[in-house]
Amino acid sequence: MSKKIDERLPQNSGKGSGLKEYYAIKSPWEKMYCYRDAMHYSNRFEQVIGAACMQAYRIMIPDYRERAQLMCEDALARLVATNRMYGENGDDMNNMHPFMCGQFVGALIGDQGDDALLMCGRCQDFGTYRAEKELDVCDWDIVGSELCRATTMSLQGSAIGSAERRRPGPSMEYCMVEAKGCGDRHCRIVAENRDKYPMPEHELWESFGPVATADQIKYTEEEDCVKESMVFREECNYTFTNGTHLEQDSSSANMVTLSTSASLYVLPAINEAVRRGIVTREMADHILHCVCEAAGKAMFGERYAIKAARDWLGVPPEIGEDGRVMGGLVEMQLQSILCNYEVEAFNEKECIYVIDRSGLEITGCKELPQVHVDFWYGMVKTLVNAQWSLWEEDSPAGKLRIRIAKKIDKFC
Amino acid sequence: MYKNIFKYDEMKRSEHMAVRQTVGWYYWTHQLIEISGPDVVKLLEYLYPNDIGNIKVGRDRYTTMLNENGEIIDDVVIMRMAEDRFWISTLFLTYTDDWIYYHSEGYDVDWSDITDEWDMFAVQGPRSKEMVNSIVENPVDGLKFFSHEPNKIGDMEVLINRGGFTGEKFGYEIYCRKDRTDELEKILKDTAPGFEGKQVTEFQVMAWTLPTESGFYYMRDLAHTNPMEVGLDGNIDWEKDFIGKEALLKVKENGPEKEMVGFEVPEADIYIRSKQYGGPGEAVYIDGEEEEVGRVSKMVYSYVKEVNNGYILAKKDKLNVGDHIKIHGYDAVITEKKWI
Repeated sequence: MSKKIDERLPQNSGKGSGLKEYYAIKSPWEKMYCYRDAMHYSNRFEQVIGAACMQAYRIMIPDYRERAQLMCEDALARLVATNRMYGENGDDMNNMHPFMCGQFVGALIGDQGDDALLMCGRCQDFGTYRAEKELDVCDWDIVGSELCRATTMSLQGSAIGSAERRRPGPSMEYCMVEAKGCGDRHCRIVAENRDKYPMPEHELWESFGPVATADQIKYTEEEDCVKESMVFREECNYTFTNGTHLEQDSSSANMVTLSTSASLYVLPAINEAVRRGIVTREMADHILHCVCEAAGKAMFGERYAIKAARDWLGVPPEIGEDGRVMGGLVEMQLQSILCNYEVEAFNEKECIYVIDRSGLEITGCKELPQVHVDFWYGMVKTLVNAQWSLWEEDSPAGKLRIRIAKKIDKFC
Repeated sequence: MYKNIFKYDEMKRSEHMAVRQTVGWYYWTHQLIEISGPDVVKLLEYLYPNDIGNIKVGRDRYTTMLNENGEIIDDVVIMRMAEDRFWISTLFLTYTDDWIYYHSEGYDVDWSDITDEWDMFAVQGPRSKEMVNSIVENPVDGLKFFSHEPNKIGDMEVLINRGGFTGEKFGYEIYCRKDRTDELEKILKDTAPGFEGKQVTEFQVMAWTLPTESGFYYMRDLAHTNPMEVGLDGNIDWEKDFIGKEALLKVKENGPEKEMVGFEVPEADIYIRSKQYGGPGEAVYIDGEEEEVGRVSKMVYSYVKEVNNGYILAKKDKLNVGDHIKIHGYDAVITEKKWI
């Protein structure tokens, strides 16, 4: 096949905006989206992949309690370790004062992280014995309730790690008493000190509460809810601010390129399930492959979804059902998550991309590139047609080289 | 139904009222920068708008720190330890340290972060002097406000500073070396009950309820304001050159655009978004009018006055004491910015 690259935007499309931190993304047909839209797009799309991975995980461990408990244990252990290793900079960034003793400082980390992940809302309480955070938006809300439980444990882990660098103080138990992933209007974390607010002990996975201070919950009505993080809101002067005077602009929103539900929670939990012998590596990969492929196919099962995608990419009418449409979509996603790639071929016969594998791993999750390939393979079958395929081929070291072309496969 | 997180909390109440009625003590270590050298006064005079050169050895001064736009970027207490050596007590070390670095070129000074060398306990309230005198070698009777002097507790070398963040007439800060912190804490814990004292453990009491009742600011309150807007311009030394002076002179000439005012909300079980938790704060409207006249900076609770109290950063001259306003549908009244 030809390695021809049709006339199109240069290979470094997306970098042409000249903005290093607030980059725009550009499709091969010059459809351009601003930084904010790119962040929203990638944030949601990556959680669709996370949702597929969660379904795979559910097949591997059918029992809810066992599955959620493992995920919570894994999240807690990793976040404690991560915070021990890297948390000191976060302490300074969040202006944790020396006299702030105990685990309530963990709420500062969660508050900042939420806004940077476009999970907008508000801190409602911040004290030594109680803290409360309410979210109005969470793009992770489609992944599954086990994830909501596990993210609570990541807050707990951050709190434990941070408190270890401080003068000892009260411990806190973080609970997600409402979760958008369970259908609630908000996500709501309430952290309580159990000496002051006693409650029965429970297992880690039971991190939805109840809490002792339900009568202190501040519920924001629908009409007062927000849709954007502070960094994208005029009333906030496009600046995130917390109570200890951390200020961040919208460059902080690129945290969505560093943290996804699959990379941070679901795939590590699957790895832990493999490590514990609950499932073999081969079976885990097989299930992931099957589920992600099917989920990718579901993306464009309806004709209007194909039309919408083509419109979004700006695909001209003269381009019919060929792999460039899929290629364009892959490029948009890669640009959104700041993953470098090169276009080796882009024509009506084939598209070839050489992708920086580490960029697609999203903070070191080795399984994530293959998950994307499986997902994209499914997508191309419905976005273009079943003659077309997407596969990895001849990847150089450190790269993921994918080809989008027609392919007959009697065992697909 | 939502219940006020302050009003019904007996722990917060007892800690707060111990400071107001007897004595409260707490771990209150701030970040500390030690700065010294032949040009130290010259540099500090340039960095801070208030007069630094006339601080006597053994005395302290509160001052804002401004950027070139005249906006407050930190508020600190400067303690003169020797003719050419000062401590700067801050809660925003990363900013302040960078600020000194960027502006110190050409000045013969040395500075370092000594936060890890010293801890500090606050002992505040009407019986604080009695309590401190009961443990120190030399009575602190003669110690003036915003003065410090070395002392001893047993064989422990300490520095006693008279001052605090509570508005109490008598309040002391005891500095000790880090390796003696546990020992000092135990002494305070054992001594306080004899003076009907109590340990303050709640951040919200230390940083919010006690200072607000006294009209003090926590740094977040001051963000993107200038000293004239928040009433901290009284001690500015206009005769000297300092960062932000040019911008501030224009504010002086034209008048400030904003001002910080106090407010109360009589209804108990209400919640109003305020900047103390981050974010923009709730918008404030005058009864019956549509124009936004300010944003809520802080809303806590006065245990002395038994009312929700706080600050609003408002457009200048839009809100006057006694005005009735609506904040998120709740009736509120504008007050002086002090409750004790």
